[in-house]
Amino acid sequence: MGLSILFGLFALGLISGMPVAFALGLATVGGFLYEGLPLFIGFQRILSGISVFSLLAIPFFIFAGELMMQGGIATRLVRLASSAVGSMRGGLGVVNVASSMLFGGISGSAVADTSALGSILMPVMKEKGYDPDYAVNVTVTSSVAGVVIPPSHNMILYAVAAGGVSVSNLFIAGIIPGILMCLCLGAVAYVVAVKRGYPAETFPGWGALLRSFLIAIPGLMTAVIIVGGVLSGVMTVTESGAFGAIYAIVVTTLVYRELTWDGFRRAVYVSVRTTALVMLLVATASGFAYLLAIYRVPELLAGAVTMVSENPIIILLMLNAILLVLGMIMDMAALILICTPIFLPVAQSLGMDPIQFGVILMMNLGLGLCTPPVGACLFVGCVVGGVKMEHAVKTIWPFYLAILVALLLVTYVPAFSMFLPGLLQGG
Amino acid sequence: ETWRGWNIHPEDYPNSIALDQFAADVAEVTEGRVEPEVFHNGVLGSQPDAIEQVRNGGLDFANFNMGPMGEIVPATNVLSLPFIFRSVDQMHAAMDGEIGQRFSDALAEEGLVALSWFDSGARSFYNTKKPIMTPADVEGMKFRVMNNDLYVQMVDELGGNATPMAFSEVYQSLKTGVIDGAENNYPSYESTNHYEVAGYYSITEHLIIPECICVSTAAWDTLSEEDQAAIKQAAMDAAVVQRELWAERSKASRAKVEEAGVEINEIEDKQPFQDAMGPVYENFIAANPDLESLITDIQSLE
Amino acid sequence: MSFAELIPPPSRHPVLRFFDLAAFACMVVAGLQLVTLISIFGWLVFGRYVLNDTPTWVEQLALLLVVWITFLGAAAGVWTRAHLSVDFIREALPPPIRRLLYWLAVIGMIIFGACLAWQGWGLASGTWARRIPMLGIAEGWRAVPMVICGVLTVLFSCCHLVALMRGQDPAEVC
Ligand code: NA
Ligand code: NA
Repeated sequence: MGLSILFGLFALGLISGMPVAFALGLATVGGFLYEGLPLFIGFQRILSGISVFSLLAIPFFIFAGELMMQGGIATRLVRLASSAVGSMRGGLGVVNVASSMLFGGISGSAVADTSALGSILMPVMKEKGYDPDYAVNVTVTSSVAGVVIPPSHNMILYAVAAGGVSVSNLFIAGIIPGILMCLCLGAVAYVVAVKRGYPAETFPGWGALLRSFLIAIPGLMTAVIIVGGVLSGVMTVTESGAFGAIYAIVVTTLVYRELTWDGFRRAVYVSVRTTALVMLLVATASGFAYLLAIYRVPELLAGAVTMVSENPIIILLMLNAILLVLGMIMDMAALILICTPIFLPVAQSLGMDPIQFGVILMMNLGLGLCTPPVGACLFVGCVVGGVKMEHAVKTIWPFYLAILVALLLVTYVPAFSMFLPGLLQGG
Repeated sequence: ETWRGWNIHPEDYPNSIALDQFAADVAEVTEGRVEPEVFHNGVLGSQPDAIEQVRNGGLDFANFNMGPMGEIVPATNVLSLPFIFRSVDQMHAAMDGEIGQRFSDALAEEGLVALSWFDSGARSFYNTKKPIMTPADVEGMKFRVMNNDLYVQMVDELGGNATPMAFSEVYQSLKTGVIDGAENNYPSYESTNHYEVAGYYSITEHLIIPECICVSTAAWDTLSEEDQAAIKQAAMDAAVVQRELWAERSKASRAKVEEAGVEINEIEDKQPFQDAMGPVYENFIAANPDLESLITDIQSLE
Repeated sequence: MSFAELIPPPSRHPVLRFFDLAAFACMVVAGLQLVTLISIFGWLVFGRYVLNDTPTWVEQLALLLVVWITFLGAAAGVWTRAHLSVDFIREALPPPIRRLLYWLAVIGMIIFGACLAWQGWGLASGTWARRIPMLGIAEGWRAVPMVICGVLTVLFSCCHLVALMRGQDPAEVC
C-alpha cells in the first residue's frame, strides 16, 4: 500500500507536468506522511544526498564543457576531425561522429555535445547538401558517446548511487564501449550517406591535417591534464574536474583568445543552471531512495525477476528492455538515481560486475536521450537543426540500431568494459 | 511493535552478525512485543544523519561509532583523543564499568540509551613509503584522516600533513600518491584493499574508539521494566559475540594482509608518540575543562 | 545570445519584475559560488602538492557551496522553467483533464515548496548548535538555502496559480 502511494504520487506528479525532481520530492513527502515517519528525515536525506564529495565533480565537468564550447575548443576539434576523415563519402557525417568522440572525451555532457557540435556542424552539413534530418540524427545519436567516454558526470551519478563504485575504474571502463559505439555509428553514418549520395570533402593534404592537429593540441590537452593529473598522483578524479575547468579558462583566454567576459559569464550561468537541475534530482531522489530501502524494493524486485527466469541471458535482456522503455519516457539523471539501487542488485546476483552494469546503464539510458517522447539530446538537436521531431525520428532507426548493437555486445561480452580496468588493477 | 535499526556495515561484518542476533533475541525475550529489523549497509543514511533520526524517532536503535558522535555529545570526544586507552582490554574494562556509565549518562541527555559497548579495534597508521618507528618517520608525509579537528591536530603534532578526504577517494589517492598514508584498523585496511597499495602497517594503535548499541529514549520509555532489563541483557550478549567475532576478524585480516606481503611493524616505545600529543590534550582540556576528570580517570585506570 | 539577454528585461508588471530579479539574484549568487568552488579546489591541490600543507577546510566548504548552488539555482529554475519535466502525456489528454493537471502540478509545487521551507527551517535550527567539522561554522548553514528555495518556489508557484485562476496560460504570463 505504502509503495503504491509512493509510486502513484510520483506518477501523478509526472503526468501533471511537474518537474521530475519536484515530483520525486512530493512523492517522498507523501510516503513519509503515510508511513508516519518524521518528515524531517526525508528532508535530511534530500540535504545529505547532495553533500557527497564525489558529486563535486559534476559542476566541474559541466563548467569545463561550457567553457570549451564558449572558448572555441569545440570548433578546433571539429576542424581536426574534418581534415582527418572528411574525405570519405558522406564525410561530414563521419566527421560528426569523430568530433563527438573527441569532444565527448573532454566534456562530460551529451547535451552540451549536441548543442556545441550541432551548432557548428549542422549549418555546414545543410550547406553541402545533406538533408536536415540526417544531420540531426547523426549529431544526436553520436553525442551519446559523451556519456560513455570519460569523463562523464552521469557516470559519477551512477558511482554515487551504486554506493562506492570507483569513479576512475568506471571512467576507464567506458573507453572501449564508447569507441565501439562510435565505430557502429560511424559505419551507419557512412552507409546511409552513400545511399543518399552525399558528397565527399576534398582531402586537405597532410600538411593541413598536421596544422589542424597542432592547433587542436591545447584543447586536446584538457583530456591529458585530467588523465595525467590523476595518474601522476597530483590530484584525485574529483579535483581533476576543477583543474579541467581552470585549464579550459586558461587555454581559451590566453591561447585561443576566444573566451570573452560575456562568454565566461554565460558559461557560469548555464553551468549553474545545469548543475542545479541535476543536483536537485540527486537530492529528491535520495529521499525517494530512503523509502525504497524501507520497503525493501530492491530485494523484492530481485526475487521477482529470478522467478520469471533463471537464465542470465534472458534476465539481462529484460533489464535492457525495461531500461530502454524507461529511458524513452524519463530523463537520464533521474533514472540513474532511481534505477541503480533497484536494478544493480539483480545484475550483481547474476555475477555481473557493478562497473560493467554501470557502462550498460549509461549506453541504455544514453539511447533514451535520443528517443521521443522525452529525449534531451533529441530536443536540443531538433531545435538547433531547425527540424521537427516527427520528421527527424522517421529516419533515425539505423542509428538506434547501431547503438543497440554496441549495447548488446557490451552486455554479453564483459571484456569490452572490464578489460581496461582489469589491466590497470593487475598492473 | 517493529523497531527499525541502522547499521553501516555489510551483512557479514562482526557488528552486523551481532546486531542480527540482538534482533532475534529481543523478539524472543519480549515475546514479539518488540520486533527489531536491522537495515545493513547504511541504506538509511550516514552516521550523523542516523543519529538525528534516532533522536527524532525516525529510527529506534543503531550501532554507532563514538568517533563522529563528538559533534552531538561533546563528552564522547574524549574517546577520540589519541592514545586515551593503552589497549583494547583497558578500553573494555573502562567502558564496561563506571567510566562507561558516565558516557551513557552523557548520551542519555541527547536522547540515546547506550545498552552495551562494541569493539572497533585499534586504528594504526599505514602508508606507501616506509615503516613508522618514531614520530620523526611521520614528518612530511600526507596522511588522510577523518573530518575531526582532533585527528588533524594529531597528525600535525607528529609533523605530518593531515589531509581530510572522503573515504571513497582514499584507495585511488594512495595508489597514485595524492596521499602517502591513512589510518585504520585491520579489518578496514583489509576489506577496502588499501593494503594492496599501502604496504607498510605500523602498529601505533593511536585510536581505540568503542561503539554502542543505542536505543532511542522515546522507544525505550514505552517499555516495561522487565522488557528493558531483557533487552539490555540481549545487548550485552550481543557485545560479547561482537567482541569475539571482531577479534577473530582482526586476526584473519592481519593474516591475509601479511600473506599479501604487507610489512607490519610493532612499535617498541610508544612514549614519544604519546608525548607529542601533549598540545592536543592541553587544547582539548582548555576548551572542555569539565571533561578533565574523565580523562584522568581513564588514564589512571588499570 | 549574449549574457545581457539573460538579464531580465524591465518591461513587465512590477510583481513579475520583482520575481524576475529575485530569480536572477539567485543565479548571480550561485554563479559567484561556482567560481569560488573552482578556485578553492585549485588552492587545495596547490597547497597539498606544492606547499605540502593541505588546506583542511576546502572539502567541507566545497560541500557547503554545492548545496547552496543547487538550491539557489533550483529556485531560479522554477521561475525560468528550466527544470526537466514530462509534459507530453498531459498535452495529449483532452482539454478539461489537461486543465485539471495544470492545477495539480501548481498545487503540488506549492505543497513541496512549503515543506521544503518548513523542514529546511527545522533542519537549520535543529543543527544550529552543531559545528561543521574543519570549518567551525554552524551546521545549520547547510539547510538555509533549502528555506530560500522553498519560499521562492511557493511564491513563484503562487504566481502561476494566479495566472491559472485568471484563465491564462501560466507558461506565458510568468
Ligand atoms: Na565524456
Ligand atoms: Na528519452
